[in-house]
Amino acid sequence: MIFAHGTVLPDADLPALLDSLEDELNATRANLTLEAETVVSAIDALGRRLDSGALDHLIAQFATPNMLDSLAQIRPALCREALEDKLKTELGPEALSPRPRPFGRARYLPLGVLFHVTAGNVAGLPAFSAVEGLLTGNINLLKLPREDKGLTLAILSQLTDQEPRLAPFLYAFDVPSSDTATLKRLAALADGLVVWGGDEAVRACRGLAPPGCKLTEWAHRLSFAYVAGYEDRETELTALARHIVRTGGLLCSSCQVIYLDTEDWDRAQAFCRDFLPILEGAAREGRSPGQAAEATLYSYETLLEQAVDRRDFDDRFFPGRGCSITLRRDQELELSHLHGNVLVKCLPRRALLPVLRRQKGRLQTAGLLCARWDREALSAILARAGVTRITRAGHMSHTFPGEGHDGEYPLRRYVRVVDTED
Amino acid sequence: MGSRQRLFWCSDPYDLPASDSRFVRATADNCAFHIRRCPEYAAIARRLGFSPDQLKTVEDLAKIPPIPTLFFKRHAVFSMPERWPVAMRVTSSGTSGKFSQVNFDWGCVLAEVPMILRLGWRHRLISPVPANCVVLGYKPDKHNRTGVTRTMFGLTFFSPPLRRTYALHYENGTYVPDLDRVIRDLEGYASSPFPTRIIGFPSYLWFGLKRMEELGVRLKLRPGSRILLAGGWKQHYAQEVEKPRLYALARTVLGVEEDHIHEFFGAVEHPIFFNACPRHRFHIPAYSRVVIRDVETLEPLPMGKVGLVNLISPLIKATPVTSVITDDLGYLEQGDACGCGIPSPTLTILGRVGLSDITTCAAGAAQLLGKGEGL
Repeated sequence: MIFAHGTVLPDADLPALLDSLEDELNATRANLTLEAETVVSAIDALGRRLDSGALDHLIAQFATPNMLDSLAQIRPALCREALEDKLKTELGPEALSPRPRPFGRARYLPLGVLFHVTAGNVAGLPAFSAVEGLLTGNINLLKLPREDKGLTLAILSQLTDQEPRLAPFLYAFDVPSSDTATLKRLAALADGLVVWGGDEAVRACRGLAPPGCKLTEWAHRLSFAYVAGYEDRETELTALARHIVRTGGLLCSSCQVIYLDTEDWDRAQAFCRDFLPILEGAAREGRSPGQAAEATLYSYETLLEQAVDRRDFDDRFFPGRGCSITLRRDQELELSHLHGNVLVKCLPRRALLPVLRRQKGRLQTAGLLCARWDREALSAILARAGVTRITRAGHMSHTFPGEGHDGEYPLRRYVRVVDTED
Repeated sequence: MGSRQRLFWCSDPYDLPASDSRFVRATADNCAFHIRRCPEYAAIARRLGFSPDQLKTVEDLAKIPPIPTLFFKRHAVFSMPERWPVAMRVTSSGTSGKFSQVNFDWGCVLAEVPMILRLGWRHRLISPVPANCVVLGYKPDKHNRTGVTRTMFGLTFFSPPLRRTYALHYENGTYVPDLDRVIRDLEGYASSPFPTRIIGFPSYLWFGLKRMEELGVRLKLRPGSRILLAGGWKQHYAQEVEKPRLYALARTVLGVEEDHIHEFFGAVEHPIFFNACPRHRFHIPAYSRVVIRDVETLEPLPMGKVGLVNLISPLIKATPVTSVITDDLGYLEQGDACGCGIPSPTLTILGRVGLSDITTCAAGAAQLLGKGEGL
């Protein structure tokens, strides 16, 4: 299916649409301006319709239990105040209005056309990416992920029904990644290509974007916890355990490795023995038999993978119920076994920077557990090493209003500065 | 004759006690083969302290390391070198984007022959009368190595196939459905002097029948026409509400009665021919044993308790799938409780626990505009 002109069209219309798309986009750019206020009002109104139950039929059609969770989490963001805050934080207090300069004036204008290649691991991500494009006044072409199954088309329809002025700025294409001919044609029309996904998706998109097309890569990241002490040991370790179990390691901000500020293998083993019951406690909390079975299978899989893939390594494996801890000798930051199966490694603070630098461009969140007096010094080392978020143990995956995204303010990537001499 | 061939050639399909000793022997030999030939399997056996000489009775089968289907999705493991001529290389459908690869050796294919013939005969699937075949699934193609495609193609041979119509054709790198063509062909087959056999995914049959109903198509397929429903596990969850509606629709739209509708299941990692009995239950055939495992401890559970489904068979030597633990929840019941006359226990699958094998946060994702537990 295709989304264009505010309606859902059959795939059969794709060739004709592609033929006329460049003229359409040029006409929109030449004649229409999308004010941020128009977008903010439309989303604010949509948020209120969500509360009133007017969208319940859509929720019934698309929502899985996970999506209901995410919906509850993003609801506070679908309001005027949050959106205006975002604009203000990311683009400055005057956001999209002109600023006087000695030579005349400068202002942010949209990049033009953004082509978003989105990922399917988080429901609603394509629509989210499009909203960031709209807030900055861009025309948005979306390549939908395979897993989308109509959700994004439904959201876009709701948005344009709410505010028909958005229609010329939104297109979505349900084309497979293998259809490179279509993707190349779309990329050729774009001023910016926004890609969400793993290394493979990013590499493929680098090949798609013509020279002169600005690339924005929201690639996958690695996060970790650093344990150098405690303010309140029990509370902090429990919060960390809950974070590990609840995010399943699947998010960029999920803790993959717990680093200990020590070189002492015996102390590290003692940490694992102490932390295992806490992790087991978190894994047991409020889960159905299905979730218990899932956790059991993943921790058993981890045991088998340790036996098969790590035959020649001197790891210590601590199996728990529905979770596990693996203590490894090396210091590298790497992906854990996920789903409540976490890695532990020794990394004294003096080695932090050289080790973490090896993952440059991939670092995201550090959940820092340390004494109060030590926090500032350790935060500074972590920041110098390339980490972009430093949080408390249990807050690694919390989103904070006004925070950046992988070290950047996304809206700034979607605009350009135009200087005009008087 | 090896222990595996003896099990498959000499066993009554539903007399489990009579085949117990043959099954244990064949399984012990199978495990010993995998331990010798597959270093990964040997490492697992070592880690779990398992050796084939621990297998003395059917109760001991639970000691074989059960390997999760997820493991086969993440690891390509084989007990016969890649350069050996294996009979088939088959993959699971990979609905989650990842799939298992299972190689079938020639001995396995040889052992499957009596299993399929015996069970096909027992369930009245085999007929000398030629039939028109409609496959509501994939047309075989060199790009498609999924087990379900192979199974459906195989099922067309239970009676001499006159011609085959497929619902899904491979065109320009992807499969495209053509239900309207299937309906046109079915209309033609209804006036043919031969019966028709419809083989396919239950969901496709459901959509096809709904479409025919919408179009006002009412057919009376020739007597002896049958519907054979196969597919992945996911098509076979306990759908008490759906099934009677499906059967009623098949009767109204095609004129095929419920007792001419057959259901099967199997998995690429456990390609045993499970047939539904006339009461729509899956009795365990002599070529398979099923252990239900506790969702917390993976310990074997008694009859009637719900847990993870662990399937055991010594059928395959090329891939160490002797004992696989699926991500399905199910339970066993005594066979005589069914009342159909088949004595072996029945397996009911309740549903999948929903393993989402996403390996990374592909999406740095969406610090979705606001507060809360982020993404």
